[in-house]
Amino acid sequence: MEKAITIKNLKYQYDQNQPLFDGLNLNIEQGQWVALVGHNGSGKSTLAKLILGLLVADEGEIAVLGQTLSEDSVDEIRGQIGMVFQNPDNQFVGATVADDVAFGLENLEVPSEAMSAKIQAALEVVGMEEFTDREPHHLSGGQKQRVALASVLALEPKIIILDEATAMLDPDGRQMVQATLKKLKQLYGSELTLITITHDMDEASLADRVVVVNDGQLVMDGQPNQVFAQGATLAKIGLELPFSMQLIQRLDPRPQNYMNQQELLAWLSPLNK
Amino acid sequence: MAITFEQVNFSYGQGSLSQPILKDISTTIPSGKITAIIGQTGSGKSTLVQHINGLLKPTNGKVIINDFELTSQTKEKQLVALRAQVGMVFQFPESQLFANTVLEDVMYGSLNFGQDHLAAKEAAQAALTMVGLPSQHWDKSPFALSGGQMRRVAIAGTLALNPPIIVLDEPAAGLDPLGQAELVKLMLNLKKQDKTVVLISHQMDQVMTVADWTLVMHQGQVIAAETPTTLFNRPLSWFKKVHLDLPTAGQFAQQLMAQGWQFKERPLTLEQLAQAINQEVTIHE
Ligand SMILES: Nc1ncnc2c1ncn2[C@@H]1O[C@H](COP(=O)(O)OP(=O)(O)OP(=O)(O)O)[C@@H](O)[C@H]1O
Ligand SMILES: Nc1ncnc2c1ncn2[C@@H]1O[C@H](COP(=O)(O)OP(=O)(O)OP(=O)(O)O)[C@@H](O)[C@H]1O
Ligand SMILES: [Mg+2]
Ligand SMILES: [Mg+2]
Repeated sequence: MEKAITIKNLKYQYDQNQPLFDGLNLNIEQGQWVALVGHNGSGKSTLAKLILGLLVADEGEIAVLGQTLSEDSVDEIRGQIGMVFQNPDNQFVGATVADDVAFGLENLEVPSEAMSAKIQAALEVVGMEEFTDREPHHLSGGQKQRVALASVLALEPKIIILDEATAMLDPDGRQMVQATLKKLKQLYGSELTLITITHDMDEASLADRVVVVNDGQLVMDGQPNQVFAQGATLAKIGLELPFSMQLIQRLDPRPQNYMNQQELLAWLSPLNK
Repeated sequence: MAITFEQVNFSYGQGSLSQPILKDISTTIPSGKITAIIGQTGSGKSTLVQHINGLLKPTNGKVIINDFELTSQTKEKQLVALRAQVGMVFQFPESQLFANTVLEDVMYGSLNFGQDHLAAKEAAQAALTMVGLPSQHWDKSPFALSGGQMRRVAIAGTLALNPPIIVLDEPAAGLDPLGQAELVKLMLNLKKQDKTVVLISHQMDQVMTVADWTLVMHQGQVIAAETPTTLFNRPLSWFKKVHLDLPTAGQFAQQLMAQGWQFKERPLTLEQLAQAINQEVTIHE
């Protein structure tokens, strides 16, 4: 299968003294859901910006859906990636919420007849359909994150990158996003690749694959059950375990391997006679 | 220093902005405690706390911060006295960073309030250490930082001022697990120094661990003011109605109960949940 993203020998540094990435390699299959985790300042957002071509690598090669990132290809590549940035304020372009969602669609040359239905549908998914005429900068924090998400969903991109896109959402909002992502994955299968950057390990455990970066280096890479079986290693680099694993560590008797919440519930069930 | 809201009403403006955002709020935030404000997106949390430092003024009613009375008539000049009492960390930290370097940014407030350079620098360095930002970043531009690092600088800027009231609007958003643990320690430490801490949070686990008091906002009103333990023992139907969740441990316990488990009390923390499960298992063995 074609790779969604291939990164070969990536080198990048912001300032003279210290390289952030010094030969990073990473392949992401089409249709995969990858959670990118790591402590503050480990390089997650920088990596996302390099993939989008917002920053240019010092050395190495990045290819998106088979196309090598270069000055000539960057616009086309950006057209295939929908990214929600860590601070939604930096991404609003429209004077109203509806304009903001429309902006990306106009770039894709969606005919105007189809446009308003698409805008409406995307805003409904995130529960913001009543705010179409509001100015994005005059919304609450969580409302901003919802609109930023709608703008990306409306584009139906092949690759979605969410950089801490749920950090300011209320419990409803978080569930809405997680349910939407699962639904989209089911709908599009191998046509949709997801990269979620998060500090919430429970959210990370929903992914097919967890990639852990530490100071610009890829230090762990595997399915959630493989990565979260290594609590001591994670703790050493300042990360924690998902809730289910934290609970398992306190149980007596306890399961010997990683389980997510559903699996742990099933495991506990026969103990309550 | 207690903060009292007396029949506070607020809207952002005229015309399309005239809809009421805060509706007749009367409540007290206790002095020397950690008060968490929770509630759905758009319920009015950020709007409410911006009344504590006079960034917003009530359209009607008044806010009494210690002995300062804030009303629609309060003049900008009078607010200087209030701003020295209240430190605020905003929901989006970038919005409050501006200096050329991280250190200067954190020193700015102290210098502005008349501290000498050396004292301001020492306070800034201590605050940056407290929030866990490595010193290699102190001479960088605050905009050449990662999201979580910016959040730490914004928190440090407020701590360095050492105000008696500290308001934190979703300070944990974007912080890594160590940063979140440091934040909890920091809030408990502030309480020990008898400061009034106001925390807005969507993380019920965090609220359960640190808060002494909680205010629940719903559609511009404060619909509950009580301890977290009382709050999280309310019936589940109530949480559904106001679109809130129990702490993760409580949610997990609820799923076990659906499988037939019985607990004497609703577990609300990880420790309580583990203990309750272990106890049930032992009884049945
Ligand atoms: N514009 C910039 N100029 C110089 N250094 C930068 C710049 N942006 C980020 N950095 C540094 O690069 C490193 C990686 O930053 P990045 O934003 O990629 O981290 P992150 O993993 O996304 O962290 P967070 O979890 O806090 O969002 C950090 O140490 C940061 O200080
Ligand atoms: N500057 C503004 N102008 C007009 N309306 C605003 C402004 N800021 C917020 N609002 C509106 O006021 C209401 C309350 O917003 P507020 O920011 O207080 O919510 P919040 O409880 O902090 O939400 P969140 O959890 O999403 O941060 C929302 O409906 C929002 O759209
Ligand atoms: Mg980041
Ligand atoms: Mg808010």
